[in-house]
Amino acid sequence: MSFGRPPSINVGFKVSPPNRGSFPLDHDGECKEAMMEYMKCLKQNSSTSTPCRVLSKQYLDCRMTKGLMDRDEWKNLGLTNLAGEDPEVKAKVSSRTDSA
Amino acid sequence: MLRTAILGLPRQCQCGTSFTQFTTRRALTFSAHLPPSPPRRPHVRLQHSPSAAGAGPSQSARARAAGYEAARQKMHSQRNRSLVMYSSAAIVFALGMTYAAVPLYRMFCAATGFAGTPQVGKGKFSADRLVPVDDARRITVHFNADRSEALPWKFSPQQKFVNVLPGETSLAFYRARNNSRQDIIGIATYNVTPDRIAPYFSKVECFCFEEQKLLAGEEVDMPLLFFIDKDFVDDPACRDIDDVVLSYTFFRARRDRNGNLEPDAEEDVVQKSLGFDKFEHAPKK
Repeated sequence: MSFGRPPSINVGFKVSPPNRGSFPLDHDGECKEAMMEYMKCLKQNSSTSTPCRVLSKQYLDCRMTKGLMDRDEWKNLGLTNLAGEDPEVKAKVSSRTDSA
Repeated sequence: MLRTAILGLPRQCQCGTSFTQFTTRRALTFSAHLPPSPPRRPHVRLQHSPSAAGAGPSQSARARAAGYEAARQKMHSQRNRSLVMYSSAAIVFALGMTYAAVPLYRMFCAATGFAGTPQVGKGKFSADRLVPVDDARRITVHFNADRSEALPWKFSPQQKFVNVLPGETSLAFYRARNNSRQDIIGIATYNVTPDRIAPYFSKVECFCFEEQKLLAGEEVDMPLLFFIDKDFVDDPACRDIDDVVLSYTFFRARRDRNGNLEPDAEEDVVQKSLGFDKFEHAPKK
């Protein structure tokens, strides 16, 4: 049971896990390159998130591949139909998602 | 026989007690000396003492007066008894409500996101809610990081802020470094300000509320995936919100009585990190 929310009748009386839980720690830095690319993109775009969503999708895909995140469909994460997405990348990434 | 049978009848209700008590005594005697009912409540019959049946008029008058007095006192005592019952019930109820107020307040906060309470729930994360509203105003989400002094970590956000659209899931990173020579388990809480955005600020996945073990000298990047619900644009109270501050606090973890991990800090410090420092009903559990 994870604590954290101020206790209410739901939290105190019923044990329920958080929605998707917590990201496992990336101890070995396996997805660090994807993260650095995303941060670089943010700096270039004055911290606007929309142009960098493709990179965030790649980062999450890296996490899913390396077992640092439960694989899930992109629409459940809100990362479908991204502007500026390379169709090849999209096909590669979505095929991995479908096969899971 | 009949009289005992009548006397043995159970008394039905309190206000009728005096009635049955008095009527049974005289049930079988139809004396012409029945006293006239005094101008009082109609359901109260007065006792006619049996000993007065054969006595003189003055004695019967005195007995009658005594009977009236006794009946009045009985009625008053019954009324007082019921009054005491009702008022003690009201006191107990009020006392119970003051105890119930704390968990009820927590329920209210969890349901409405009052005071920056984070919202966790499956219905909010359905796929159709995670679509960006392209023509809406951008919101700047600032990131803040705190840690307790007992935790020898360096904890900081990797970006100062991110400009997001409502409904758009965005990724952000924090970095934590364990500067000590032991493996330490940390646990984080977070809070969102201003309070009125809390019902709309949802996190898909983060690094909070569960233990995070850092080995000695290790540095990790902690991501978090969040979005601002698109109903935010329809809320008139949130019309003027352009900046949101998301604040994380890392504590050292310890095991509580049940073996669960909890922050190793004073209660008020933890509640402050959750945004409950300004409210008097702070203490949890």
